[in-house]
Amino acid sequence: MKTKQAFIGVGLGIAALLFTACGANNNPLGDATSPQPAQPGQTSAASAPVVVGSADFTESKILAEIYSQALKAKGVESSTKLGIGSREIYIKALQDQSISAVPEYTGNLLLHFDPSATATTAAEVDKALPDVLPSDLKSLKSSAAVNQDVYVVTKEFSAQHDITSLEDLQKIAATSTLGGPPELAKRAYGPPGLETIYGAKFKAFVPYPKYPPKISDLDSNKIQVATFFTTDAVIAEKGYIQLEDPQSMILPQNVVPLVRSDVAENQTAVAALEAVQAALTTEELMELDKKVDNDRQDPGQVAGEWLTSKSLA
Amino acid sequence: MVEGTAGMNLFEYLADPANWTGPGGIWNLLLQHLGYTVASVGLAAVIAIPLGIVIGHTGRGSFLVIGLSNAARAIPTLGLLVLVVLLLGTGIGPIIGVLAILALPPVLTATAAGIRGADHEAVHAARAIGMSEPQVVAKVEWPLALPLVISGLRSATLQVVATATVAAYSSGQGLGRLLITGNATRNYPEMFAGAFLVAVLAIVLDILLGGLGWLARRHASPGGRKMVHDPSKIPVDVVA
Amino acid sequence: MNLDWAWIERNLSMIGSLLVEHVILALVPVVIAFLIALPLGYLVSKTRRVANVFLAFIGIIYSIPSLALFVMMPMILGTQILNPVNIVVALSIYSTALLVRSVVDGLRSVPAPVKQSATAVGYGWLRRLFRVELPLAMPVIFAGLRVVIVSNIAIVSVAVLVGSGALGKLFDLGFASYFYTPIIVALVLMLALALIFDALILLIQRRTLPWLRERPA
Repeated sequence: MKTKQAFIGVGLGIAALLFTACGANNNPLGDATSPQPAQPGQTSAASAPVVVGSADFTESKILAEIYSQALKAKGVESSTKLGIGSREIYIKALQDQSISAVPEYTGNLLLHFDPSATATTAAEVDKALPDVLPSDLKSLKSSAAVNQDVYVVTKEFSAQHDITSLEDLQKIAATSTLGGPPELAKRAYGPPGLETIYGAKFKAFVPYPKYPPKISDLDSNKIQVATFFTTDAVIAEKGYIQLEDPQSMILPQNVVPLVRSDVAENQTAVAALEAVQAALTTEELMELDKKVDNDRQDPGQVAGEWLTSKSLA
Repeated sequence: MVEGTAGMNLFEYLADPANWTGPGGIWNLLLQHLGYTVASVGLAAVIAIPLGIVIGHTGRGSFLVIGLSNAARAIPTLGLLVLVVLLLGTGIGPIIGVLAILALPPVLTATAAGIRGADHEAVHAARAIGMSEPQVVAKVEWPLALPLVISGLRSATLQVVATATVAAYSSGQGLGRLLITGNATRNYPEMFAGAFLVAVLAIVLDILLGGLGWLARRHASPGGRKMVHDPSKIPVDVVA
Repeated sequence: MNLDWAWIERNLSMIGSLLVEHVILALVPVVIAFLIALPLGYLVSKTRRVANVFLAFIGIIYSIPSLALFVMMPMILGTQILNPVNIVVALSIYSTALLVRSVVDGLRSVPAPVKQSATAVGYGWLRRLFRVELPLAMPVIFAGLRVVIVSNIAIVSVAVLVGSGALGKLFDLGFASYFYTPIIVALVLMLALALIFDALILLIQRRTLPWLRERPA
């Protein structure tokens, strides 16, 4: 009878679907295409694949790709896990070994593990960093390439209220709104720092997970001050005024690889990464960012091209 | 802090009074969310109810209604929101516009179905005693259709409450902000607060409108006699 | 540039794997819901008071926005937030809530005389269920299936706010830098999926319930 056939057919279809679902669940359903990272008790550190993670913004993804491909070029097995999230999330991923390396920035990394750090120059930060890291994590050599968090206002706003430095913010903060990534609210160089160091307490803070609404709101004066990164092309494009930081609330942010200790013991890996660090400059970083953000190229692609141009791959 | 364990006090964000006050505080976000909902459902109703009455009463254009509600279910609301914000900016206007568009189909379908399904004997009787068409609509069809119209408004409201949660991703307003900020900083109590409040808001509005619909049904069928034929056995809409 | 069709070609494999992931996340809950809703709906349709209470409870679950469910699920179950199982479980609950309603309505729409004559001819309850009641309830159940599948496809994309979302990730990618292409690709693919699966269910319905074709629409 037709109905019976239908039910048998549906039943078989269901079984087939469930089988494929089981099979598919073995494939990590994220954007990782990875062999498993080094598990404790596995083969020697020299042969364990290095999984390079990244935060959710373009530059982090490019750096992660650069690191990963540089490692592969020197014979170290590697893969990437891009766009994991904010620092809280990917540090946790590092510590639970789902990734074994991540591109970081010296100053903020220092503050993350030691909120009361007193270092202010790049040299001081570099020196203080290794001491504050937990025992399973190591920082390698930092690069000359820099990417700072920066507070900006529009040209008009700056002219209108005479705002050129973070110290000027206290003039307008009480009637103004600050915009930045959601995690900024808790950061030492975020609203808490502005209040303690510069005496500026904003009327409100609006979290922006993505740039376009933040840019749009800044331009239309819905928010008056916003944070970006110094390598963001939009600052130059829109002519935003970067506010000075005379009290060094924002620490120097040199690019630095943060790795698990077993990766730090892998001489080949370390050498490959440090070669990258030495070759990287801020200008080139900005160029790479632009290629991905504006020209819609693939981070992996531009990373590979850069490495080739530097004879590192 | 271990990920996702029920042992942690998930209610601690809600319990802290400091989180309720201020521009980013829970009260404000709740009011924004409610405001978006009322404004967009209201806007949708203003357009969809008259349109639905016309379609239901004249019987023309019903193909439009059926196709519309099926198609609307398939729209990924996040994609629509993102597109609108990129194209039109983060103003309140575009967001309410999108929400209203999503609220339209359920109200339109329900109104048309309600008017269409109004007890035919009652309608014929009204015409027989000499009521004009507008009078038939206002005095007979509308009261009989009201329960379905309210159920359409109910579906629309749920749809909007859900979509407004997602709208925080593109414009930072409403209870969705707690979800997004909590997710970015792995602050589970904050995430839970957002989810919990949205759920409670949805349930409360659902119960309120459900009660309203029950009242309307009693008004429409005073003797217990079923005056409205409910053509659709399936819930009018699904919330995203 | 804000629109770059060549991007599609450069990223075919990523788009492909997201598409597959999307289909799985949307369909598996429907299958689970179907398997649960049939027996559950049957039991509920047999009662009256309990049915009303139960359906009211289901209605409440149903009114909770899916994103809220995606978030609360791991916290209540204790699983990791990024685990795709959360999405599947949450969507299964959702889909079951809807399908139970369809099953109940469908079974209730079977005219009593038909059921009685089946019993009179000697059918036991099981045989009557499978030979008479379910086939007659199928139109309503199939309609419910179509609603569930189509809405699941859209809802899965919302999960990108909690790190999952399959094709929804393309919305995220496009939104981050004013890039329209991935957004459009994702929208088109999801709408196509909805159309295809809706048509598929309709096709299955036409095949298995031929007597419906005689009735006017």
